Amino acid sequence: MIPWLLCALLAQAAAASPPPAPDPVPAALAAARAALDAGRPQDALQKLLALGHPEDPRVAHLRGVAEYRADDYAHAIERLTPLLGAFPAGSSEAREVEQVLGLSLYLANRIPEAIPHLEHTREWAADNMELAQVLGMAYVQTAQPDRARASLARTFGVPPDSAAAHLFAAQMMIRVERDAMADEELKRAIAKDPRLPHARYLRAQAALFRGRFDDAIALLKGELEVNPASAMALYLLGDAYVRQEKWGEAIAALQRSVWINPYFSGPYVLLGRAYSARGEPGTAEPMVRRAVEMDPNNRAAHYLLAQLLQQTGRAEEARREFETAARLQGP
Amino acid sequence: MSPLRARWARVALAVAAPALLAHAAPPDPRPWGVSLVDVGEKAGLRVASVYGGEASRRFILEANGTGVAWIDYDEDGRVDALVLAGTRLAPGGRQDVEWKAGEAPTNRLYRNLGRGAFEDVTERAGLRRSGWASSVCAGDYDNDGHLDLFVTYYGQNVLYRNRGGRFEDATAAAGLAAGRRQWGAGCSFIDYDRDGRLDLFVARYLDFDREHAPEPGCMWKGFPVMCGPKGLPTDVNQLFHNEGAGGFKDVSEASGVAKVTGRYAMSTVAADFDGDGWTDVYVACDTTPSILYRNNHDGTFTDTALESGLALSESGRTQAGMGLALADVDRDGLLDVLKTHFADDIPALYRNLGGGRFNDVATTAGLSVQNRHVEWGGGLPDLDNDGWPDLVYVTGNVYKEKGDWLKDYPDPGPRVVFRNRGGLRFEDVTDASGPGTAALHSSRGAAFADYDDDGDLDVLVMNMNAPPSLLRNDCTGCGHWLKVKLEGTRSNRAGLGATVVVRAGGLAQAQAVLSQSSFYSHDDLRLHFGLGTLKVADSVEVRWPSGAVDKRTHVPAGRTLVVRETTAPSGQ
Repeated sequence: MIPWLLCALLAQAAAASPPPAPDPVPAALAAARAALDAGRPQDALQKLLALGHPEDPRVAHLRGVAEYRADDYAHAIERLTPLLGAFPAGSSEAREVEQVLGLSLYLANRIPEAIPHLEHTREWAADNMELAQVLGMAYVQTAQPDRARASLARTFGVPPDSAAAHLFAAQMMIRVERDAMADEELKRAIAKDPRLPHARYLRAQAALFRGRFDDAIALLKGELEVNPASAMALYLLGDAYVRQEKWGEAIAALQRSVWINPYFSGPYVLLGRAYSARGEPGTAEPMVRRAVEMDPNNRAAHYLLAQLLQQTGRAEEARREFETAARLQGP
Repeated sequence: MSPLRARWARVALAVAAPALLAHAAPPDPRPWGVSLVDVGEKAGLRVASVYGGEASRRFILEANGTGVAWIDYDEDGRVDALVLAGTRLAPGGRQDVEWKAGEAPTNRLYRNLGRGAFEDVTERAGLRRSGWASSVCAGDYDNDGHLDLFVTYYGQNVLYRNRGGRFEDATAAAGLAAGRRQWGAGCSFIDYDRDGRLDLFVARYLDFDREHAPEPGCMWKGFPVMCGPKGLPTDVNQLFHNEGAGGFKDVSEASGVAKVTGRYAMSTVAADFDGDGWTDVYVACDTTPSILYRNNHDGTFTDTALESGLALSESGRTQAGMGLALADVDRDGLLDVLKTHFADDIPALYRNLGGGRFNDVATTAGLSVQNRHVEWGGGLPDLDNDGWPDLVYVTGNVYKEKGDWLKDYPDPGPRVVFRNRGGLRFEDVTDASGPGTAALHSSRGAAFADYDDDGDLDVLVMNMNAPPSLLRNDCTGCGHWLKVKLEGTRSNRAGLGATVVVRAGGLAQAQAVLSQSSFYSHDDLRLHFGLGTLKVADSVEVRWPSGAVDKRTHVPAGRTLVVRETTAPSGQ
């Protein structure tokens, strides 16, 4: 059919029809959006379901966003994927579809699929701190450390090639247990700035976890040279000595840690262990009780207290502490 | 002066305190002469143990694998190899593959022909059976002189009565048919009431409903993986009393065994943990506190794992208990305990302090240098016969979905070997223990025996979806040895639950005769003691589960000492 004829037919049909009913969609969408903005995604979803028109891209778009906000990533992905390209390029709808789809894929652990959408989103939201963090973590999870560092540097506001950028990248890698990748970043951070605090501490933490106690001790001594008042470094140093059964060194490090920061239960537990191992239960017990007092959910403290009580013949009290330690293991 | 300052003053003045617990002197300083060589293929152990998917594992049912056993089933004096197997889920489904006739995977029994060769005798021994086998334990429950077997399954556990080289399924006749869905895990024959008949302890892993189990979606290091055990319903353990005449009676409730709840129970060992002469049961539990069923001497048990120090890690944390082993690693005459765990953790090495109390010394013993592997079957065999039990465990990650991205957490993985250097110190000698340790497998069960009777301990290993490994110990410059085999009269025939203490050179070595150990596996019943440079053991003392004690003195090395129970229990 030729175009002019089609136009004529449409005009004729319009003239013959009764006046159209007002479009209910915009008002319903506005109400759903208001519910979303108020933090009520389920309410928004109910409004959208009541509206009908699921095939309407405007409805599907908001429904996908609501599902994402309701932590239903699988349905959000299902809803939003067909909408890529459904809205004019550069429109707020197109941007939101791509952004929410990228985030949903990330949170559904479909990380390689999430990355292109997050990268597109970054083109118009270069300064968005959260987006840079999510994209950085996606790069970490897909073993792209250089891209991860660049993105995370934006998040933390440091130059991408700086020692600090390597440190931040490493810290975020450790959060998702990518220890080997983190260690490389930390080595580069130290190479760029040998006096950078915290880098050796993080390396020492990994060394301790992997049973390389001598390495951990050397790294912690290095950390204390550049960060001498670090209570956590002293605590970790004490921990390493405890694992080597070097009780005197352990007690000295832990006591220093406590003097700097008396509000952390960890050193008290280890002091209790060290004194107990040295045959000083009378000194150990108040240390462990202090840890329990500060942190009633510290299962290690309750367990050690139970052992101390057992050793000193207070079986009933020990049994209660053992039971508390067991109960604190969680479901 | 504040309390803290006062304490600091004390610290500053303190001199290095002597070790509270004096450890024994280190063993002789000879070089490590152990070389483990996989001769499984050459020896004829060639059939793959099918167990779950090869490329991925959707459900925990496919992950745990199964055990192996060294048993002399035909009493010809040579230990034979039993290798259990599972089956596989239909692609994308929740039901098992429907195998063509004759192709269904089965457990395999390999008869030891001597001279390093084995033949597959599964059919004629009556052991063909397909299903999700978990563990095996052995014991002569009818005291007829033939070693019987109990094999646990996801589904119906099976009691195999040995009729003199051929097994018959005695499950129903013994009253052991399950009335409901169950996932049998570890098991141990145990004479808990000293009536001379072996009762049966059965652990249950969890209540797995394959129709409603969640699809993979749980996370491990950023990867969606199969779910469990956390989040899946637990089950309770069982105890069956041997009523004689081949029958068992369920006494799980009456004995207190079923009172312990909320655990994912795996391997078991039954031995006298507190030295009171009665056999207890220790159960390694996955991600929940482990259980020590202390024998109350009246037919009941109480879980004393927490106060005994065997429930949690050294810092009071639950661990993913898998396999278990007992030996006297510090040679003080008391049984110490090894328990294997998941990746990012280390095995527990519980030193026996006496009186039923234990202390985890794994970290200070040096075991934390290896902690990326999921540890399964393990043992404390004295591989070099220097008199100091060494430490071996086999590995294999359970998550295949991680692909190659986490190279630090390999699946397949190596076999890890630590040499006991004395003084409660172990040295990682994995790389110096021969090609059989470096070869990568996804292994589960492991069992120990001197299958070729050359005087050193070898290892049989179950590999997932692959033939078993037979790690022959080609030990050079290794020490003298002594084997001890028990024959109970008042006690059960195999002497299960007995503790044997060998004294030589001023030091003691304790071992126990176990129905199950390692991960879901069974070692040769002949206990193997290294004597180092000594050619004579001063004494061999047997503490029978009946309470009787037998003793032999001046026992020459290089032989198998058979000790028949002769004395009456004390007080009789």
